[in-house]
Amino acid sequence: MAYEITVLTTMAISILFALSLNVITGFCGQVSLGHAAFYGIGAYTAALLTKSGIPLALALLPAAAAAGAVGFVVGMASLRVRDDFLAITTMGVAFLFVGFVRKQEMLGGEIGISGIPSVAFGRPGLLALSLLCTALFVLLTVHIRRSWMGFAFDSVADDEDTARILGIDVPRFKLWAFVIGTAGAGVAGGLYAHHIRFIGPDSFGFLESITALVMVIVGGIGSIWGVALVAAILSVLPLFLQFVDDYKLLLYGVLVFATVRYAPGGVAGLARTLAMRIRR
Amino acid sequence: MSLLKVENVTMRFGGVAAVEDVSLSVDQGEMLGFIGPNGAGKTTLMRIITGVLRPQTGRVLFRGEDVTRWPVDRRIRAGLALAQQIVKPLASLSLVDNVALAAGAHRMVSPLAALLRTDRETERAKAGALLDFVGLGDALSMMPTELPLGDLKRLEVARALALEPVLLLLDEPLAGLNQGEARAMADLIATLAGKHRGIVLIEHNVREVSRICPRIYVQDNGRGLVDGRADEVLASPELRRAYLGEELA
Amino acid sequence: MLLLDLGLQGLVQGAIYALIALGLTLVYGLLRILHVAHAALFTLGGYVGVIVTNGTGSLPLAILLAMVSVGVIGIGVYRFCYRPLLNRSPLVALIASIGLFIAAEEIYRLVFGPYGLSFVTPPLQTQVEVFPGVFLSHARLLVVGLSVVIIGILAWLSGSTRTGVAWRATVSDPDIAASFGINIEKVRYLNFFIGSALAALAGVMVALLNNLVEPTMGAVPAYKALAIIVLGGLGSVRGTLVASLALGVIESFGTIYIGHLLDRDAIAFAFLVLVLMVRPRGLLSRG
Repeated sequence: MAYEITVLTTMAISILFALSLNVITGFCGQVSLGHAAFYGIGAYTAALLTKSGIPLALALLPAAAAAGAVGFVVGMASLRVRDDFLAITTMGVAFLFVGFVRKQEMLGGEIGISGIPSVAFGRPGLLALSLLCTALFVLLTVHIRRSWMGFAFDSVADDEDTARILGIDVPRFKLWAFVIGTAGAGVAGGLYAHHIRFIGPDSFGFLESITALVMVIVGGIGSIWGVALVAAILSVLPLFLQFVDDYKLLLYGVLVFATVRYAPGGVAGLARTLAMRIRR
Repeated sequence: MSLLKVENVTMRFGGVAAVEDVSLSVDQGEMLGFIGPNGAGKTTLMRIITGVLRPQTGRVLFRGEDVTRWPVDRRIRAGLALAQQIVKPLASLSLVDNVALAAGAHRMVSPLAALLRTDRETERAKAGALLDFVGLGDALSMMPTELPLGDLKRLEVARALALEPVLLLLDEPLAGLNQGEARAMADLIATLAGKHRGIVLIEHNVREVSRICPRIYVQDNGRGLVDGRADEVLASPELRRAYLGEELA
Repeated sequence: MLLLDLGLQGLVQGAIYALIALGLTLVYGLLRILHVAHAALFTLGGYVGVIVTNGTGSLPLAILLAMVSVGVIGIGVYRFCYRPLLNRSPLVALIASIGLFIAAEEIYRLVFGPYGLSFVTPPLQTQVEVFPGVFLSHARLLVVGLSVVIIGILAWLSGSTRTGVAWRATVSDPDIAASFGINIEKVRYLNFFIGSALAALAGVMVALLNNLVEPTMGAVPAYKALAIIVLGGLGSVRGTLVASLALGVIESFGTIYIGHLLDRDAIAFAFLVLVLMVRPRGLLSRG
C-alpha cells in the first residue's frame, strides 16, 4: 500500500506542476524555460515553514504567494522582452535561483534542507493533500479555459499584436498567466518537498524545467487532460522501467522532437484526430 | 467636434522620413478617403494613429485627448478600430469567435472580470449578425485558414465593427480583391459611415475611393499633398503629379 | 596583478564564448531559431578532438577533423531537423532543438561512456609568463590566438568575397537577399557548416583547457551562449563578440567579488537579466 501511495503522490504533484506551466505556455503562449525555479521557491518556503512548526496545509499558501510574487516580477520582465528574449530570460531566472540558493547559508547552501517534517496523517495525509490541491488546480484551469480570461489568453497565444488590435490589454493578461502558473508551481513545490523530505539546489535545476515543458508539449500545448495524462505517465515511468530512469533525457528529447515534428497537437491532438476517424 | 487630430507628426526610420510633418483631422460622421502611391507612408501614418508606432515629433489627439503615448489596446478601447491591410485573423479561433472576442473586448479590461465571466452567447450572437452583415453568414464555424483572401478581408471588417468604434480605420480593404469583389466591398463600406462614426479609408484603388468618399486626402513621399472635396482633389495638378507614371483610372 | 590576471582569464573565457556564440548568432540571423542543439555539436567537437589526438598524436589534425566532420553534421541537423519546421512558429524549432540537445547528451553518454575522456598526453600545457607575474598556458594563448585569427578571417571573407557579401546580406535580411537572387538554401548550408565548425573548434579548445571531455560539457555553454546572443541583440555579429568578451570578464571578476552571493553561472544570468531590463533588445541596441 505504501508503494501505491508514493506512486500516486508523485503523479499528483507532477500533474500539478505540469498544469501550472500549461497556464503560462499552453494557455497564454509564453514559453518559460525556468519553471523549476518557482517549484523550488515553493519547496524552500514550505520546508522552512513546516520546520518551524507550521502545518503544511497552511504553509502552502505562503509557498504559493512567494512563487507567485517572483512570478509577477518575471511576468513584468515578459512585458519588456518577448518571444525568444523571454524564453532566455526565464532560463536565466532559473539559473539565478539555483546559483543564489547554493550560496545561502540559511537555505542549506549546497547541502540543501533535510529532515523536512512529515505531514499530519503521514503519507496518506500528504497524498490526500496533493490530490486536493491538484484537483482544485484542475478545476481552476478548466474554468479559465471556459472564461473570457481563457478567451483572451487564446488571442495572446495566437498573435499578440492582433490581440491588441482587438482591444485586449495584453500585458495584464500575461501577468495574470504568470502569477497563476507560478503560484501553482509553488504549491507543487511545497508538496514535493514534503514528499521527498529533502531538497537541495540540484532538485530544481534546468532539467526539472525541461521536464515540465516536455509534459506540456507532449501532452498537447494547452490541453488540460493531455498534459495531465502525460505528466502522470512520465512521472512514474522511471519507477517501473530502469532504462527510462537511466536515459530519461534521451526519452524526453526524442519524445519532444517527435511531437513537434510529427504530432504538433501532442497526445491531445492525436486523440482528437483518432476520435474524428472513428466517428467517420 | 473633430474626432481625430494628427498634428505635425514626423516618423523617421534610420534617417529616412516615412512621414514628415503631417497634419490631418477627421470629424464625426465623416468618411475620408486617404490615397497615395506606393511608399507614400500611408500605412506608417495609420500605424502612428493606432499606436503601433510612436512618432519622433508631433502628437495624435483622439476625441480631444492626447493619445500619443497610449498603447494600442487602450486606444482601441477608447473607440478606435482598425481593419489591417494584411489580414490578421486569429488562426486558432473560428470566424464567429474571432468576431465575438472583439465584441467582448470592452468587458475584458480587467482580467479578474474576464475570469468571472463564462457566457459567450451574447457576443456570439452579435458576431453572427455582423458576419451576416459582411456576407459571411454561412461560414460562422469555419476556421480562417479555410477561407480565401476576399472573405478574410470581410472578416477584418466585421471584427473591427464588433468593437463598435467611433473611428474606423480601413487599411486597403480592397487590395487583392478583383473588380467585382472590390466594388461589393466598397458598397459595404459606404453603408458603415454613421452619424457618430468617422471612417478613414486608405486605398490604392482611386476609382472606388472617389466613388464613396466625399473628402480625399493625398499623401506622397511622407508629406500631405492635397486635402479637400473629392472632385477638387481628383482634378488637382498635385494628384496627377503624384501619380505620374501610375495609371489613374 | 590580480586585476590583470582576472582580466586575462576573462578574455580567454570570452574568446571561447565567442567561438560558440558566433555560430548561434549566424543561425539566428538566418532562420530566427534559437539553436540550443549547437552546444551538442560543441561537445561532439571536443570528443572528436580528444579521440583523434590520442589516436594520431597530432593536435592540428584533430582540430581540422573535428571542424570538418562536425561542420558536415551541422548541415545534417539543419537539413533534417530545422528545415521541416521552418514555416512553423520559431518557438517550435526552439523546443525541437532542446529535445535534440538533451537527446544528444544521452547518446554521447551511451556511445562514449559516462565518465568522459582525457588526452593521453595533454598538449600545450607549458606556462608562459605573458606579463611579469602573470602566467598563461600555451593552450590558453592558442585559444585567444585562434579565435582572433578565425574571427578575423571570417570578417575579411564576409567583407570582400562574393559569397561573403551574399552571406551577410542574407543574415541581415533573408527576404531582400532572396529578391536579389541569392540562393538562400546554399547560404544556410554554408552557415551551418561554418557555425558548427566553430563550435567544434571551441569544443577542442575547452577539452585542451580542462583536459577533459564529458557528455554534459555542452550544458552550461549552451545556455550561456544563448544568453550571449540575446545580450548581443540576437543576430548581430558585432554585438555577439562584445557580449562574449564582456560576459567572460564579468564572470571572472564576479566570482572573486560576489562569489559568496551567487555562483559563476548565476552571475552570468544576473548580468543578462539586468541588461535586458535596461535594454530589452540587447547591449548595443539604441534605447
